[in-house]
Amino acid sequence: MLRESTQIADTEVELKDVTEGLSDGTQIPNAEALVNFAEAIVSRDCARIAETRKVVFDTLGNDATVDAGAVASAFHGFVRIADTIGIPYDTAAQGQDAPEIREAAGINDFYRIQQAG
Amino acid sequence: MSSIPFENCDYEVRQNLIDAHQEAWAKIAAPGTWLDSEQRLAVVAEIRQARSCDFCHEIKDALSPNAVTGVHTATGALSDAEVELIHRGVSDPGRLSQKWTQDVLAGGLSEGEYVEIVGIIASVMIMDTATTALGCPDTDAPEVVTGEPSRYQPPGARVEAAWLPIVEPEDAVEADGPMYPSPKAGYIYRGLSSVPESMRNYWAMANEHYLPGQYVYQFDQTIRAISRPQMELMAARGSGLHQCAY
Repeated sequence: MLRESTQIADTEVELKDVTEGLSDGTQIPNAEALVNFAEAIVSRDCARIAETRKVVFDTLGNDATVDAGAVASAFHGFVRIADTIGIPYDTAAQGQDAPEIREAAGINDFYRIQQAG
Repeated sequence: MSSIPFENCDYEVRQNLIDAHQEAWAKIAAPGTWLDSEQRLAVVAEIRQARSCDFCHEIKDALSPNAVTGVHTATGALSDAEVELIHRGVSDPGRLSQKWTQDVLAGGLSEGEYVEIVGIIASVMIMDTATTALGCPDTDAPEVVTGEPSRYQPPGARVEAAWLPIVEPEDAVEADGPMYPSPKAGYIYRGLSSVPESMRNYWAMANEHYLPGQYVYQFDQTIRAISRPQMELMAARGSGLHQCAY
């Protein structure tokens, strides 16, 4: 989904950033503020969330802050369905999540794929 | 705690997000398909308890989830199998396995109960994360609602693509109720389909956080205040930190 959306927007993205954190290879506007906010939300560290949220608010405003928080939260549910039900990971993005994309993103190192052999 | 989602929030939260939380909480409190209201609200309490479970933190920190032994710090209201499903589902979902799922089921949970609990885990994790993200307290769980579970079992549910049964779009029947916005609905959408009510309730809420189904593959559009690449970057990084391969 990230690859598709950035290709259509003609924006550069470094797929490895999915697993390793943001690099200069990703050129999405305000990427640093948004990734820092997303990482803080996963950590559930309230002080870190407040600090990173303020940067998003100061940069992008109220509605973007609310939607950024909502989007990041949504993926706290999706991952739990995927991983507790054991849905087939190779069907992600309507089957366009090819092995080479997973390799480039570092996803092939994840536990579930390693366990699947 | 607050009885109204996002009450006294420092940010102006869109009304459809507030409504989605309120409706989701009302549905969580209602009798479900396999669990009654009291059991469903006990699941909510256990989800919140899992965040402070020392054993969960040890598992999360371990190189292998099977490398540590111990006991979850639980509320005491649920069975060991339910506690294991909830705590691991909350704290370390990226390192579950089919064997682990089979062990949980062998511990005394039916497949329907398992899937219904997963629907509650996923819903509460989204809503509690959203309120935390915006600096708001958790929303109070509602009061118990009397009534019996429906015990509806979709005739088309079968174990094939995933570890748990799924109703593929071509196997859905009228008695299941509304199931899929499109026969091409992805497997993430189908995940809860063996408990149709849980699937409908979950997506009604989740769609207000991310995108309704009709927008998911329209990459050149966004109905949110951040662009689609910005959304997907946040989503991918969050999923990466959860080690979600999907």
